[in-house]
Amino acid sequence: MEANSVEEIGFYALHRFGLLALSLLLVGTVLELVRRGLLKERYALLWLAASGTGLVVGCFPSIIVRLAALLEFQYLTVVYTFSFLFLLVIVLAFTIVISRLSEQNRELAQEVALLAQRLRQLEKHDE
Amino acid sequence: MSRVLVIIPAYNEEATIAAVIAKLRQHAPEYDIVVVDDGSSDRTAAIAAGLQGVRVLQLPYNLGIGGAMQTGYKYAERAGYDVGVQCDADGQHPVEQIRALVARIEDASGDVVVGSRYVADSDYHPTFVRRVGKSLLSRWIDLLIGGGITDTTSGFRAMNRRAMSVVARTYPEDYPEPEALVILHRHGLKVIEIPVNMHPRQGGTTSIRPHGAAYYMVKVALAIFIDLFRHYAPRKDGPAHGSQQR
Repeated sequence: MEANSVEEIGFYALHRFGLLALSLLLVGTVLELVRRGLLKERYALLWLAASGTGLVVGCFPSIIVRLAALLEFQYLTVVYTFSFLFLLVIVLAFTIVISRLSEQNRELAQEVALLAQRLRQLEKHDE
Repeated sequence: MSRVLVIIPAYNEEATIAAVIAKLRQHAPEYDIVVVDDGSSDRTAAIAAGLQGVRVLQLPYNLGIGGAMQTGYKYAERAGYDVGVQCDADGQHPVEQIRALVARIEDASGDVVVGSRYVADSDYHPTFVRRVGKSLLSRWIDLLIGGGITDTTSGFRAMNRRAMSVVARTYPEDYPEPEALVILHRHGLKVIEIPVNMHPRQGGTTSIRPHGAAYYMVKVALAIFIDLFRHYAPRKDGPAHGSQQR
């Protein structure tokens, strides 16, 4: 399949601006959340990567034309596929984070129980 | 003479905890006892704390049986006990046979001694579904560790120092008994089994609900399979925490 022009595959200017606006909004939101300390930098990176991709595609729409031709997808399918893959990665990353947190949480609770018992023991000796 | 610690994890067991401890005192008065209260909402911790000489580790919230049991083993390791015995708070475990478990640790028959309900001279008759599930699981584990252990779900077991140092670091979270055996085996420890007679539970409810049985089977089978491919870091010597704690 020959690579068509941007308009020929249905990726109109309006869609481009929509994508650009959405990506800018996401970049702005993520940066603001980091600034307010509500989002950690390490987790912000994944979101910035996603919105950055949106910006790049919005600026250079020929990327999506080439990808659509290469994969023999409609351009919208390309967008959906990559959005889906991104969400998959971010959810996996989150479950890894949650697993680590629950492990640390368990160790902390055990340590609290052990220390509280030791404290009671020491207080008994003091009396 | 080895120092023995009996670890009793308890979650809402106010009905039976005092009786279990009284029985322990009667049959093995020189053993120390620690009750791990797993965030109970009833008076379990208060009752246990009120009993002379019983130590209580009170978890700030419910961790589940694995996390509670491991807390007890961490305590045993730091306080320098030679033998740790885990025992249910619901009165199912035959406390009068606890010395038999400890004796096999003391004569170095194994690093871990499991009190089994299936060995010839015990009389335990579980329901059909439970029997099939447990026997499948036991076959699977037997295949993996090849030790001739018939009752892999029994939570009535004793461990020596080496085994305790393993479980203090690595212990499964829910339904831990079968998987713990595989982990201990993977660390090169010897697991043996002796027959005991279990009692029906005297109060409270089992942690394995009927509709959870399928989840239990799948979860444990998978966890055990994954354990086979896990790389366990060699033991670093020198504990990070004060080792003489009583």
